[in-house]
Amino acid sequence: MGTNVSSAARDEDLAIARRAAGGDRVAQRALFVALRRAVHHTLYRILGSNRDIEDLVQDAFIEIFRALPTFRGDSTLSRWCQTITTRIAYLAISRRRPATIELTLVEDVVADGSPDAHRVALARDAARRLYAALDHLDPHKRVAFALAVIDGLSLREVAELTGSSTFAVKTRVWRGRRELYKRAQNDPVLREYLGALDGGDR
Amino acid sequence: MTGPLGPPTVEPLPDAAWNRVERGLWNHMDRESAVSRPQPRRPRLWLAVPVLAAAALALWLGFRSHDTQPIDDEPTRIVAGATPSSASFGDAHVELDANTALDMFHQGRSPSAMVEYGAAWFSVAPRGVRPPFEVRAGDAIVRVIGTRFRVARDAEHVDVLVDHGIVEVRFRGALVTLTANQSWSSAKPTEIATSETHASIDPAPAMKQPDVVAPPASTPPPPPTLTPNRVDIERARYETLQRLEAKRPDAAMTGYLELSKGSSKWAPIALFAAARLAVDRHDRRAKSLLTIYLNRFQQGANADDARQLLRRLDEGTP
Repeated sequence: MGTNVSSAARDEDLAIARRAAGGDRVAQRALFVALRRAVHHTLYRILGSNRDIEDLVQDAFIEIFRALPTFRGDSTLSRWCQTITTRIAYLAISRRRPATIELTLVEDVVADGSPDAHRVALARDAARRLYAALDHLDPHKRVAFALAVIDGLSLREVAELTGSSTFAVKTRVWRGRRELYKRAQNDPVLREYLGALDGGDR
Repeated sequence: MTGPLGPPTVEPLPDAAWNRVERGLWNHMDRESAVSRPQPRRPRLWLAVPVLAAAALALWLGFRSHDTQPIDDEPTRIVAGATPSSASFGDAHVELDANTALDMFHQGRSPSAMVEYGAAWFSVAPRGVRPPFEVRAGDAIVRVIGTRFRVARDAEHVDVLVDHGIVEVRFRGALVTLTANQSWSSAKPTEIATSETHASIDPAPAMKQPDVVAPPASTPPPPPTLTPNRVDIERARYETLQRLEAKRPDAAMTGYLELSKGSSKWAPIALFAAARLAVDRHDRRAKSLLTIYLNRFQQGANADDARQLLRRLDEGTP
């Protein structure tokens, strides 16, 4: 995290940030290429699918480029971009209208019937159920739960990404989990999945 | 997937999606910087008028001879299945290996190609005043100065081999320049290999199709390889004619027409090249050549382009 940024890495980050902020397209493109997967990863973890994600990735990079002049090297450039991306994801789920129709969750057709294909189909189904349940959470809780439980970040890291205290994050994760288990009462697949995620809880 | 009940897998975005994101991003950035750029006070417009007029004239003269392709924001996807394929894109000719997919599009005025997977040879006319030609494969960007070269891609592994001419490869901020018989690999991005024969260059080790492509039913496709097939005399002739176009278009036209008489796979390519050259040069034979091409090769790789050119000629649009 911020305090551990080595001097060389910090200088490198500051140099490319300065060039990109000055409108250097080569630096901007290098930054885009270097960070695009991290940005996509964060958005995907919070949102759960690639639906509408292209626009959000673009929004995230626009915000990143706009904010580059304020980058001071207190954290790595990658972590700093992740903070902006988390905010973009938060705004996106805050703007979303609540779903009025529950979509039926259909299990993937397992083409070859192999244990591997079946395992993948099961996991996809469980993930869909999880994100469908997450859609009902307050955005703060959802972001905290997705980053801490699904993505496996520490509470302190989630606090830095969301600009909150560690205590607030811990509370949101706890409340989010409680609401999800409540929703999972009649959904054994979701209940089992939550249990498995908690089994690897950090 | 780490296990049946592990955290859900992050499904990667396909290259075409990244491409859209990147183009949208730069367009937005360009618009934003244009809006935020401060306007000079009391501009001396009378000074700028002759300069702008001269620049516009130079641009028009420079581009009109080869600007027959519309600027198209939507990429055209070309996929070669079990057999190799070829296609023309503006003044470039592309030969796709089997099991290869490309996206062809214009970025601004620049023709560009994105290798989704597989490998292809690109023959690109010398750029001169023409907009640069770019080929992207993963994080590698190959900028073309006028050459014949090959790009092979397997997931994030990229190989580039130059047959003749010069290309620049930009990879994660670093830039290398390759000349004839030199190759580059993303596995060793700072090294340039020189070889007497292309056959010594080994492709990526473990080839697999990317996630976005449905896996084949039975046998996996052969991996893309940098090794050229056999020496093809007609292909060499075609490439020579392409290089001749800029300096001696009449000779190139004669050569294309000669080559188009055969029955090899280069006949339709040469015939279309002759027709395209005729259109570029406002040659009165253009219409006849396009019609002959469509009669002979109704399902040809350039049939759609031929129809489009013919339509434009009929409508009298440039």
